[in-house]
Amino acid sequence: MIPNPVTALLIFAGLTLITLTIIWIMKTDTWKLKFRSKDILKTKIEDILKQLYHVEYGGKRATLNAMAGALKIEYSKLVPVIEYMAGSELINVKENAIILTEEGRDYALKIIRIHRLWEKYLSEKTGIHKSEWHQRAEKMEHTLTNEEAELLYRQLGSPRFDPHGDPIPTKTGDIIQTHNQPLCSLKVGDSAKIMHIEDEPAVIYKQLIKEKLHIGQYLKVIKSSENNVTFISEGNQHKLSHIVASNIGVRTLSEEEVFEKEKVRLSALDKGEKAIVVGISKECRGANRRRLMDFGFINGAEIVTEMKSPSGEPKAYLIKNTLIALRDDQADLILIEKVA
Amino acid sequence: MEEDKKFDQLFEYASNLRWKVGDDFHDQLTEGIYSDASSITKRVVHDDQSHKTYHFDRMLDKILTSKKYGFLIMGLVLAIVLWITIEGANVPSGLLDSLLLGTIYPALKNLSLSLGIPWWLDGFLLDGVYMAVAWVIAVMLPPMAIFFPMFTLLEDFGYLPRVAFNLDGLFKRAGAHGKQALTMSMGWGCNAAGVVATRIIDSPRERLIAIITNNFSLCNGRWPTQILIATIFIGAVVPESFSRITSMVAVISIAFLGIFFTFFTSWLLSRTMLKGEVSTFSLELPPYRPPKFWKTLYTSLIDRTIIVLWRAIVFAAPAGAVIWLISNIDIGSLSIASHTINFLDDFGILIGLNGVILLAYVVAIPANEIVIPTILMLTVSHFGVAGFGSGDGVMFELDSYMDTSRVLEAGGWTLLTAINLMLFSLLHNPCSTTIYTIYQETKSWKWTSVASILPIIFGLIVCFLVAQVWRLI
Repeated sequence: MIPNPVTALLIFAGLTLITLTIIWIMKTDTWKLKFRSKDILKTKIEDILKQLYHVEYGGKRATLNAMAGALKIEYSKLVPVIEYMAGSELINVKENAIILTEEGRDYALKIIRIHRLWEKYLSEKTGIHKSEWHQRAEKMEHTLTNEEAELLYRQLGSPRFDPHGDPIPTKTGDIIQTHNQPLCSLKVGDSAKIMHIEDEPAVIYKQLIKEKLHIGQYLKVIKSSENNVTFISEGNQHKLSHIVASNIGVRTLSEEEVFEKEKVRLSALDKGEKAIVVGISKECRGANRRRLMDFGFINGAEIVTEMKSPSGEPKAYLIKNTLIALRDDQADLILIEKVA
Repeated sequence: MEEDKKFDQLFEYASNLRWKVGDDFHDQLTEGIYSDASSITKRVVHDDQSHKTYHFDRMLDKILTSKKYGFLIMGLVLAIVLWITIEGANVPSGLLDSLLLGTIYPALKNLSLSLGIPWWLDGFLLDGVYMAVAWVIAVMLPPMAIFFPMFTLLEDFGYLPRVAFNLDGLFKRAGAHGKQALTMSMGWGCNAAGVVATRIIDSPRERLIAIITNNFSLCNGRWPTQILIATIFIGAVVPESFSRITSMVAVISIAFLGIFFTFFTSWLLSRTMLKGEVSTFSLELPPYRPPKFWKTLYTSLIDRTIIVLWRAIVFAAPAGAVIWLISNIDIGSLSIASHTINFLDDFGILIGLNGVILLAYVVAIPANEIVIPTILMLTVSHFGVAGFGSGDGVMFELDSYMDTSRVLEAGGWTLLTAINLMLFSLLHNPCSTTIYTIYQETKSWKWTSVASILPIIFGLIVCFLVAQVWRLI
């Protein structure tokens, strides 16, 4: 007996639709949140503490209205949580301004510590793209315990900075003040080093990823207008709007650090050209970084581009008498100085 | 107490310093070690500056990785390797076949008859276990013994890394590693060996991709199935003068479909399940060197051929026993095999196959080589086709295409069944040897199950869709 093909196809289409819907629901995990109202309170409290810490860190005063806007919580839902928090002595509410208590600050730092540690973990030990780190850490910061965070800290080799350049608070709540200034405040002719790339809001961060800008990069501003700032760095020219540029934290160069115009990326080295390796960008992390170092991509090493694959990528470079093929996105992370 | 205080102060001082040294002091250490090492080398190592081999290497590289000839040479080398394997394996395969099945098998049968061994023991051991093992050896050993040494010779010479270099751009787009080109072509010899070969890929994510997709390379246990079915059914559709070429094209299309699925699955996995795995690309292009012929021959025979063959035998023996048992143990008036075939038939027909084929694929998990003999045997005994085969549970193959085609048509085969069998032969779970090897290599039940189940889901869906579209037209 041969079943009717039309009916069979319809049933198949129905089943496929159901499966895809289930996968989609699992992925967005909205259903999980619905059943965890107690955790939701904890999450809300922690998010508020974090926000308060950031506001205070920026030297501003937090108000209820501003908090509701920043956290995208309805005012009427925020008030009971704030009251609850004041009751458990995490915050003080004075004349409409909200201030963290000592206890609240410690709690906030703990959350920030876990967030930044998790970002560090994702950057070092997994292959997850950097545009996803923040979202994943946002979830993780509410679930890891202090002990687990400490274990993670040890396993990662006691890191002090997260992959965006932010300091990770210590177990006891120590943290250093950073003195970065926003990129948009630089004047024409200023040279600086990128110290921090803000990962929020996601839209702007994605734009920064597209520009292929990394922490540790040296830059020199060549043009600054009302809306845009233009600078050169590692052989490329970038033009950013002030809104985007304000999300990059920089430190102007000290006397002994000089901006070298000749410092470019390995991907810019054409076939047959010679160069000296300057170093590997901070953007290259974990296993990738160690592998490149093993191959000898170290300050001072001579390098020549020998071949290009007929499919465009990779290119083969001669380093330490060995031919190593690298893809362009890897070669982007190696800094060189061309030699005539 | 005073002492403790001093330590605490020291620790605090150290902790404060850690903020200042930044996070790249490990790199600075490595750089320091490297620069020390290179300054020492400069002082004490004298380099004999004759770079003759170096220039020869670059010249050869220029040709082998050129836009013009690179791909042409690759295709040519692959075609030659496959041609030598297929042509060269025919003779020893025939010899082994006539020795193991034509001479030793009847001799053993006679011996057991004269010793008075009961029929069930004789059937279980000789018709079941011995037959399956002999079959696997005869079909599997010769092509592997030819294919793998040739592959190893090319590897030894230094050509294979260049192939990976040429093709990496293509594989990158699917989220895979250029070296997967090598493990994929190794899979055309044997998937288990292909899975072992993924050790050359040192990036965890790309290695898993290569392992999971290796099954889409048509292995030498499946080539004969493809050729046989294409010749009987697809070659017969067109006028006789074109039949050979048409069936050839059909088989090659299936192989290319496998390549398509390799890329598609790689692309899919690297964006979903494997997103979180670490990915590090690196490809070393070693200098060319004359291959050590005998050493290579020896190691590739021991490392690849014998190990894989042994695993195959270990898995084939119980499969032979199962095949014999299900055909000979009756429940009610029918054998277990017939019950199962009746049970699977409706679903089989729905996806354009039939119960016999599905049962054959279940019991022949250990080795693709015995799928066709099992199908023939089950068809003859289930449908009671007269004049073929040598009894329930005894696998056989027929020398003439005409006879094979007559048996299959008696089993209700149509052109659709043939096409879907070819598709299903490409898209089904890996053989148990490969599954075991995947577990050995990944040490993970999760990835082993993904690698086993994913292809069969693809196979069922593809067969189902083809069958429905076929019936609509």
